[in-house]
Amino acid sequence: MQNISKSISIQPLAEERPHPLRHLSSIDLGLALSAFLLAAIGLATVHSASSEMPVDYFPRQFGWVGIGLALLIIVMSIDYHVLLDLSVMMYLAGIVSLIAVFFVGVQRGGAVNWIQIGPWQFQPSEFAKLATALFIARYLASLNMRVLELRQIILALAILGLPVILVAIEPDMGGALMTMPLIGMILVAGIRMRLLVTATVIALVLGAGVWTFGMHGYQKQRVLTFLNPERDPLGAGYQVRQSKIAVGSGQLTGKGYMQGTQSQLRFLPARHTDFILSVLAEEWGFAGVLTVLSLYALYITSAARIAMRARDRAGIFLVVGLVSVTCFHVLYNSAMVVGFMPITGIPLPFLSYGGSFTMVNFISTGIILGVDMRRYVNR
Amino acid sequence: MQVVREHRDDLIVRVRILSAVVTGIMIVIATGFWFVQLVQGSYYRELAENNRLRKMPIKAPRGLIYDRTGRLLVENIPSYALMIDRSRAPHHLDQSLAFAAEILGRPVEELQDVMDRYQGTPVFQPVLLAENLTLGEVSRIGVQGLEHPEFEVEVQHLRLYRHGGQTASVLGYLGEVTQDEVERADGHYLPGDLVGKKGIEQTYDPVLRGRDGERVVVVDSRGELLEEYGRKPAIPGKNLTLSLDLDLQQEAARQLDGPEKVGAIVAMDPHTGEILAMVSSPSYNPNIFSRRLQRSDWQALLDDPNHPLQNRVIQNTYSPGSTFKIVMATAGLTERVVDPHSRAFCTGAATFYGRSFRCWKKGGHGSVEAETAIKGSCDVYFYGVGQRLGIDRIAKYARLFGLGEPTGIDIHGEKRGLVPDMAWSLKARKMPWYPGETISVSIGQGPILMTPVQMAVLTSMVANGGYRVTPHLVRDAKVQAPVRVPLDPDAIEIVHKGMWDVVNDPSGTAYAAHVPGADVAGKTGTVQVIAQAQRLTAKALPFKYRDHAWFTSFAPVKDPKIVVVVFAEHGGSGAHTAAPIAQALYAKYFKVDLHPAAR
Repeated sequence: MQNISKSISIQPLAEERPHPLRHLSSIDLGLALSAFLLAAIGLATVHSASSEMPVDYFPRQFGWVGIGLALLIIVMSIDYHVLLDLSVMMYLAGIVSLIAVFFVGVQRGGAVNWIQIGPWQFQPSEFAKLATALFIARYLASLNMRVLELRQIILALAILGLPVILVAIEPDMGGALMTMPLIGMILVAGIRMRLLVTATVIALVLGAGVWTFGMHGYQKQRVLTFLNPERDPLGAGYQVRQSKIAVGSGQLTGKGYMQGTQSQLRFLPARHTDFILSVLAEEWGFAGVLTVLSLYALYITSAARIAMRARDRAGIFLVVGLVSVTCFHVLYNSAMVVGFMPITGIPLPFLSYGGSFTMVNFISTGIILGVDMRRYVNR
Repeated sequence: MQVVREHRDDLIVRVRILSAVVTGIMIVIATGFWFVQLVQGSYYRELAENNRLRKMPIKAPRGLIYDRTGRLLVENIPSYALMIDRSRAPHHLDQSLAFAAEILGRPVEELQDVMDRYQGTPVFQPVLLAENLTLGEVSRIGVQGLEHPEFEVEVQHLRLYRHGGQTASVLGYLGEVTQDEVERADGHYLPGDLVGKKGIEQTYDPVLRGRDGERVVVVDSRGELLEEYGRKPAIPGKNLTLSLDLDLQQEAARQLDGPEKVGAIVAMDPHTGEILAMVSSPSYNPNIFSRRLQRSDWQALLDDPNHPLQNRVIQNTYSPGSTFKIVMATAGLTERVVDPHSRAFCTGAATFYGRSFRCWKKGGHGSVEAETAIKGSCDVYFYGVGQRLGIDRIAKYARLFGLGEPTGIDIHGEKRGLVPDMAWSLKARKMPWYPGETISVSIGQGPILMTPVQMAVLTSMVANGGYRVTPHLVRDAKVQAPVRVPLDPDAIEIVHKGMWDVVNDPSGTAYAAHVPGADVAGKTGTVQVIAQAQRLTAKALPFKYRDHAWFTSFAPVKDPKIVVVVFAEHGGSGAHTAAPIAQALYAKYFKVDLHPAAR
C-alpha cells in the first residue's frame, strides 16, 4: 500500500509552520471544553455511585483521567498522517491482542475480554476499536471516488469485520456492537442507494439467523427481557426497572448529590459503569441529564465541524470514524438507561468508570484536535 | 497532486446529513428522559420513596460438620438482631431509642452511642442497634411493630462449635470477609459476609457456604410486605463428614490441656492418611469469633507468648531429634552402607573430623547393631551411618519420606520444613557444607526441620511398608492416592523390630509407655533447645530453655491401624513427656485399661 502522508498531502515547506504554539491557538474550544467538563462530571458521579461499594472508584478514575489528559496532549502533537501510516501495524497488533485474549485472557462477568500484564488489566477490544477506525480511515482516504464501488465496500467491511467477529466470540456482544458505528465512515465515503437498501435487507436476514443460531442463552434472555421486563424480575428485567425508577424519581431537579436512594441503596447494578447515567439522572434530575446530553451534543457537533473543515480526505474520515464510535456509545447507553434499548455492556464516554475506556476516549479526542490544529497548513 | 479537494463537497454534505440524524436521535432520547422524569416522574418518585421494590437476601445455611461416626461438631444456632431504619421513624428518633431502650432494658445513652457511630451514613441504611435479643424481646418488638415501623428484627445464624477449643485446630473459625477478599472473589462475597478463616472452615468454605438466594418483594410505605415479585432460593451449604474420631480428639486435647502444655498431637490411619485426631496446644475458643469479636479477646490471643492461633501440627517446624534415626536406619540399610548385622561399639562418645561427638548415654551402649541401636537410640551408631551416607544421600531419603515439602493436608498454611544438603548450603547460606554438620544431622539435630504432620507421614511409611499417604481431614476428600516409594522391605522390617523394642523391651527408651495388648512400636526424640554443658533435669530449667520432646509411633506392629505423633514443646524428654501421652491415646483407641489395679 502506498504511503499516505506522501501520496495525498502536500508536504509543507519548513517555514510554513514556524511556531508549534500557533497550533495551540487553534484548538477547538467546544470539543476540548465539553470533553473536560464531561470527565469532571463523571468523576463526581463515580464517587457518588461507588460510595456504598466496598471500593471507592473515584481515586482510580481520577488517575485514569489524568493519564487520559496526558495521552490527549501527546496524541494531539503527533501529525495524524503519521498515525495513519502506523495504522496497519496498530490494526495488526489489535488483532493479535484480541486473539491473545483467548489464550491468556481473564474472565469477567461471562466474557473473556481482559488481558493481565503484571498488575495491569486492559481490554484489547477498546484499543482494537481505535486501531480499526484509523485503518479504515486510511483505506477510504486512499480512494478517490465519488461513490464507493462494491469491491471497495466489501474490503472496508472486511477490515471492520475481523475484529468484530473476534470480540463477538469472546463472547462480548456489547464490545462487538461498539465497533459497528465505523460504518458511519463508509456512509460518508459514499454508497449507492440501491446498495444501501439491499444491505439493510441482508443485515436483517442475517440478524434473524444470528438470533436463531448464533446467540448465547443469556444474550437472548436479555433481549427478550427488554421486550418484556416482567419476564425475569431478578435479572435483566430487574435492572431495567430499577434504572427507570432511579431515572424517573429524579424528576426535574433530582434528589441531590449523594442522595439518590436507588443508587445508594445498591438497587442499581453496575452503577459506576454502564448505569452511571441513571445515578446522575436520579441525583440531578432532568436538568442534569439535559446538561450532560447538551455537552455530548456540543462534543459531537464540534467534531462534525472539525471534520467538515479538515485539510484532506484522511482528516475527514478519521474524525468521522472516531466521533461515530463516541456517538454510538452515547446514543446507545442513554437509550438503554431510559429503557429504549436492551441492556448490554456499553459504557458512557467520559462518565463511566474504566481504565482502557477512559484512555481511548481521550486519545480519540486528542486525534480529532490534532486534525483540527493542522487544518491551515494546506489552505 | 491535486487530489485533495476532489469530491470534498460530497463528503461535507454527507457529514452534515449524518450529524443531523445523530442530533435527531439525541432529541428523541432527551424526549424519553423528559417522559420518564417529568411525565411519569411522580409515579417513579413514589416507587423509589416507598422503597417498594426491595431486594432481600436469603442467607444460605452453612453446612454442618460431623466426626467419622456422625457426631455433630459444628451447628448453626439462630440469633436475633435489632435493626433500625432511621428514615422510617414516625416521630423523633429519640422516641424510637427510648422505646428500644425500654424493651432491651438498657440505658438510652448506650443506644445513642451506637447511633452516633452511624452519623455519616445515609439515613435509609438500616443500622444494627443490638444483637442477641431474647425471644421475649423479639415478640415485644413484634407486637408494637405497627407504631414503630422503623424497627426490624433480623435473624442471623451463629456458628456453635460444640467442643470449643478441643477441635479448634481442625475446624478453624469464621470471620468477617476482608475488603481484599471481597475484591478478589469478584462478586462471590459481599462486605459483611462471614467466611472461614482457618482450618476446615477455610479450606472447604466454598462447599460449606452454599449460595445465598434473594427475594424481591413489594412493600408498602410502612415496610409491610404486599407481594413477592420474584425469588431465587438459597442453596444450602453441604454437610461435611470428617475422618476425625471425636473420642480420640478429646483425649488428645485433654492430654495437652493445662499450663506449660505446649505442643501438637496427630493420630492418623497409616494406610489412607485419614486423620483421627489433631490437636495444637494451647488452643483457643472458636466460639468467641461467632459473635462480634471483642477487642480484648482478640488482643489476648495475639499477646499470648505461645501463639494459640498457630496450628503447631502444620505451621511450626522443629528438629526431629532422634526420631530421625528412623530415616537414617532405613537409608543406611537400603543403601547397604551397613547390613543388619554390622556392629558398632559405643563408648559414650566418638571422634569425627577431629571433634568429639557424644552419645546421649554417658556410659555408652557397648556393642550395637541396627535393631539395638534403634532400641537404645544410640547416637554413636548413627554418627557412623551418617558419615558413610554423606549429607546428599541423607537428604535424598529424607525427601523420600516426605520431608522438605508440604504433605498436601486439606487445611491451609502448611510449612514445608527444611532438608539441608550441599546445594542448599551454598545457595541459602553462601558457605560450603561442613562434614561435621552431617554428623549432627544423623541424629536429627542441626538445620533439619519438619512439622508434626510430616512426622505422621514419615511414620506411616514405616508402618504401611513404604507408601506415602496424603493426610486429610475430610472423609472423601479428593487427595492424591498413596505413592509407592522405593525403600528396601528388609530395611523396613528391621526398623519395625527396633521400634517395637523401643516400647516393649525393658531396656527400650520408651518401655514405660508400653500398652499391654496393643503392640505399640515407636521412637523417642529429644531436641536440645540450648547446649547443655552440664545436664540438668527438665524441671530444674526455666520452661523456655527445656528440651523439646518427640514420640512417634504406630500400632499394632503386625497390622498397623493407627499412627500417633506427640510433640511437646519444651516438654523435657521424649521418653518421659511425649511417650506417656501417646500411651494414653493408645489406651483410649484400643480400649485398654492401663491401671486395672487402681480400680
